Amino acid sequence: MTDLLYWLQGPVPETEPPTAEMPPWGETKVVGKPVPRVDAYERVSGSAVYPLDFALPDMLHAAILRSPHAHARVKAIDTSAAEKMPGVRAILTAFSPGADVPWYRSRGRFYSKLFDERVRHEGDEVAAVAAETRAQAFDALKAIRVEYEEFAFVLDPRESLAPDAPLVHDGGNRYGEPARYERGDLAAGFAAADAVVEATYSTACEIHAPMEVHGSVAKWDGNRLTIWDSTQGVFVVQQMVAGALKLPLANVRVIGHYMGGGFGSKLEAGKYTVIAALLAKTTARPVKLFLTREEVFLNAGNRPANTMKVKIGAKKDGALTAIEFSSIGSGGAYPNGADTSFLATDLYTCPNVAAVDENVAINAGRARAMRAPGFPQGAWALEQAMDELALKLGMDPVALRLANVPKVSQRRGNLPYTSTGLAECLRDGAKAFGWETTRAAKKDDGPIRKGYGVAAGMWGYGGGPPARVVVKLFADGSVNVNAGAADIGTGTKTVMAQTVAEELGVPLEKIRIEHADTGTTQYSGPSGGSKTVPSDMPAARAAAVEVRTKLLAGAAEELKVPAAELKLEGADVVSTKDPAKKLAVTEVPALQRNQVIVGVGTRGPNVEGKVISMFAAHFAEVEVNVRTGEVSVTKLVAAQDSARVMNRLTFECQVQGGLVMGLGLGRTEERVLDRQTGKMVNANWHDYKIPTALDVPVAQEVLSAELVDTECNTAGAKGVGEPATIPTAAAIANAVRDAVGLRVHDSPITPPKLAALLAAAGKKG
Amino acid sequence: MKKTITLDVNGVAETAEVEVGQTLLRFLRDGLDLTGTKEGCNEGECGSCMVLLDGRPVNSCLVLAVEADGRSVTTVEGLSREGVLHPLQKAFLSQAAVQCGFCTPGMVVSAAALLRENPEPTEDDVKKALAGNLCRCTGYKQIVDAVRDAAAAMRAGAVAGGEAGKPAEREEVPA
Amino acid sequence: MLPSFRYVRPRTVSEAVKALAAEGARAHAGGTDLLGCLRDGVFDAKSVVSLSGLDDLKGISPTKDGGLKIGALTTLAEVARHPGIAKGWPALAQGAAAAASPQLRNQGTLGGNLCQRPRCWYFRGDFDCARKGGEICYAVEGENTYHAIFGGSGCFIVHPSDTASPLVALRATVKVVGPKGARSLPVEKLFVLPAVDHTRETILAPGEVLTEVLLPPPLEGAKGLYRKVRSRGAWDFALGGVALALSVKDGKVASAGVVLSGVAPTPWRVPEVEKLLVGKALDAKLAAEAAELAVKGAEPMSGNDYKVPLVKGAVEEALLALA
Repeated sequence: MTDLLYWLQGPVPETEPPTAEMPPWGETKVVGKPVPRVDAYERVSGSAVYPLDFALPDMLHAAILRSPHAHARVKAIDTSAAEKMPGVRAILTAFSPGADVPWYRSRGRFYSKLFDERVRHEGDEVAAVAAETRAQAFDALKAIRVEYEEFAFVLDPRESLAPDAPLVHDGGNRYGEPARYERGDLAAGFAAADAVVEATYSTACEIHAPMEVHGSVAKWDGNRLTIWDSTQGVFVVQQMVAGALKLPLANVRVIGHYMGGGFGSKLEAGKYTVIAALLAKTTARPVKLFLTREEVFLNAGNRPANTMKVKIGAKKDGALTAIEFSSIGSGGAYPNGADTSFLATDLYTCPNVAAVDENVAINAGRARAMRAPGFPQGAWALEQAMDELALKLGMDPVALRLANVPKVSQRRGNLPYTSTGLAECLRDGAKAFGWETTRAAKKDDGPIRKGYGVAAGMWGYGGGPPARVVVKLFADGSVNVNAGAADIGTGTKTVMAQTVAEELGVPLEKIRIEHADTGTTQYSGPSGGSKTVPSDMPAARAAAVEVRTKLLAGAAEELKVPAAELKLEGADVVSTKDPAKKLAVTEVPALQRNQVIVGVGTRGPNVEGKVISMFAAHFAEVEVNVRTGEVSVTKLVAAQDSARVMNRLTFECQVQGGLVMGLGLGRTEERVLDRQTGKMVNANWHDYKIPTALDVPVAQEVLSAELVDTECNTAGAKGVGEPATIPTAAAIANAVRDAVGLRVHDSPITPPKLAALLAAAGKKG
Repeated sequence: MKKTITLDVNGVAETAEVEVGQTLLRFLRDGLDLTGTKEGCNEGECGSCMVLLDGRPVNSCLVLAVEADGRSVTTVEGLSREGVLHPLQKAFLSQAAVQCGFCTPGMVVSAAALLRENPEPTEDDVKKALAGNLCRCTGYKQIVDAVRDAAAAMRAGAVAGGEAGKPAEREEVPA
Repeated sequence: MLPSFRYVRPRTVSEAVKALAAEGARAHAGGTDLLGCLRDGVFDAKSVVSLSGLDDLKGISPTKDGGLKIGALTTLAEVARHPGIAKGWPALAQGAAAAASPQLRNQGTLGGNLCQRPRCWYFRGDFDCARKGGEICYAVEGENTYHAIFGGSGCFIVHPSDTASPLVALRATVKVVGPKGARSLPVEKLFVLPAVDHTRETILAPGEVLTEVLLPPPLEGAKGLYRKVRSRGAWDFALGGVALALSVKDGKVASAGVVLSGVAPTPWRVPEVEKLLVGKALDAKLAAEAAELAVKGAEPMSGNDYKVPLVKGAVEEALLALA
């Protein structure tokens, strides 16, 4: 995660200059078109092989024994009975040679081990078994006897710093000092305000719950290790596994072609990856280790619960004068990000701002980055507070936001944005939604009340180096693209093929993408943070441009004209001055001689002195049954500013998916920990409720501001995955407030919560 | 304890000896290498493992393989014929109703059952029919659109979908 | 992973009865609940007795008196889409349609739906709770959002079935066959409150099989519905709900079955409300009064007092829908 969020923490890495000169695209022929996925056949036919489907000859199956306690010490482990079970080939515990691998590194220190004698949450790893069949491995787990000494535990981040709170880690329950941010004079800002609102909001802990569980298949050939992993980034897995096993990077090959979703939970190697590798080493057989669905809920990451206090002041005209924001959250039993203040400090123009983020330890599963980590939580608090402010000022909530659209990033040195579409998103979205007319026609009677809400958001990361792509043009005119990025379902392969097709004029059917393999493809960061398009497409474009340059140079030699007057037209190289001078691509001697023309593209540095951010405004219509507290989201409109849309189909699909994930945060999703035992009671897809097809509105519209941004990168596209989910939950909460006059401060807005609030307020149909 | 079962899988008669505790899902994936049917939760909650059992969509993780003895099973692999996609698969492809693709086989199988019974489903019909299939990527809208597109295409007879694509006679339950 | 067990598929009910009388035998109807419980270690099985070969227990047929006989192995999907049930006994059709997900309804049977184990997360999870023979009910001091506000003692589950409340409201009976022969009893008498025995939900003794559900003929002017309130659109059990089976004659309620769901360890019949409704014209005032009465005596736990207004609201809405 530190990699992914380096834009918050420091300068971008050193980078090479781009390999080719590339003016911004004008009108495009392939890029931007609603092209079906290049790998859709595999995905719809069932022929795509996911890591979970993968099998090798002579492969063993492994399973992990996990702590049933929230906090305990492993006093003794007796594996003798399990070792004698049928089919069992190896058992690993904290006491096994070679298993003493440090794990969970943060701020230069390791917080745990592969198998820690002290278990700090339900689901912490205690032992692992490899057996001939999966059933035998699970049977053997049951035969392992573990003696625990149970400790007191803490589950609520707000109680973690109490003087008598149990210590999750011996050094104390703080993950670093609270992160503070300040600008201007807060007291003066509030003194100057005509209206001030203040409230506390909280978001429940969410689980990523991708459809494919996490896991790996590991195989050794001597001291060389190959891993097939369900991952968002093969190179991250390679680095972590090589580090853990003290192997050269070159000896660890990680392959991750198809994968069944991650949402940030697969941006790292799991302990399961290393355990699979160790078991494979011990047994000298390939080992497959995939988590069960329950294990994914317990120990494959989450979006931490946050409690956020917001105070905002504004002048009568809506101009914000001061924002005070404080947040407490927990990375879980081991460190991970839990900060939420970014939006409060950067989304709106405000001279006086103070924010503090506190991240503490609790005895529950460790967080992992989840789609726009920290931002949907921050939006839940900030955007509901803005809604309250609008009510207090008697202003239209859209107008209040429009009155505070920033021109520069105040959080980042007042640097201007390469493009900022916040105002467009708010205006276009309101128009498409029918904001003014529907609100004017609203009736406040009857048992079913309609309500309308808006919320805005931004995502502050526009990608960057390093990224490298190699394009090979074969002698028959077909093209192979070689890139390390994982296609996590967003359409990376498709958009990359479009990018290359745009420059080379090759039909998509003749382009094949080789990707996500540390052994054979080029380095790329993990696919996350809406950074794959803005990071990798410029590299792909540069590689294609290099191929084209070489091709035209070769043709120029043959046609005896300057290369500058040649262009690609379909499968031909043609002179712009004399159309009679032309040569089929496949006849270019340089291509025929070498059988291939290779272009290498790198991602150049980001523009200096500017900031790249994506913006969004979401609008929600809800119906609340005031008798029962049921909420139905009946309409959602998302207006996004991602600059260029690379593919309308994949773009819309991303945004629709973002809306529904936001709906989950706002309406249905919540990890529940039992206060008596610290155990998760809803570690399954029935009790942990992600939205079904019946929970999403029929009316769902996606707009794109489509600003021309020639500075964000050479593809002109800013990315979309994260901003598509940031404001949704807050927009729904504001719509509920509009419907029934009650503010639900704590996510999710369920019938239990709303029925209780409505009853307390004496609302009747 | 093992038992020998005989069943029809995608039109092929299969006979196998199975553990009585083995699910149909594991039999399809491990026994027949039909990995298009996905394993998502093993609890009947996500629908990734959806297959047609005697034409009705069921969660194959909650069906013992021995219970499928003498019955007919259609998996996602059985919807396309000789590489030609079912109209539903074509529509999922062209409507971008696919992201990571892990739920897709189950979605397509559930939708195929719906279209056999109801060749002209409304949006609400589709949502109800797919309510047992979870998707974490797409947000469902494009999936619903794709199913309705496929239904229209099948009605128009514009797309050849093979046997599985043809809507069957609606089964009436005796009153 | 499923534990290992013996598997038998009897051909006749009497063979099934014999197989089920063995120690550690578990009945398999649709299997949707059984397999989940076995996999999660909620209980064990020495043998699984599959009823799927008992064709006599499948299907829906009219009875001589104008009622309906539904074989216990009839799937929920068949019950939900049966036009005769939708017309004559709408509460049952709607209850069946509200259960689980469409795919689970293709597997799950009516008999299985009545005999399913509770969905309490302590019962289903890794907790040695009272219903599983442990010392305590974890819901008392724990996470009890979805637990009982009526009828709990020592255990506070809510009954998970969406068809049980409609069947009680419809005054249906079930036929049970066991080692001692066959018996019939009202559906209402099938269920066991924790005060009587907190380790089981039905009175079925070892070896007993629920074979059929009998619906009495619809009364003149019969109306009914099932209203379920839930957090999510599908695959979600009732937060609270109500089954109504009314008959209206000359503008007045002639008979009434009112049974709540999702509030108690059994379908929760509210006879006071039934009594209140009979002889009166159903209007907004009566609906409000009845709704109030339906939740009288509720004993919410620390986290589920919302169920009182929620159920009240559902009852009022449901009655008004039939007015």
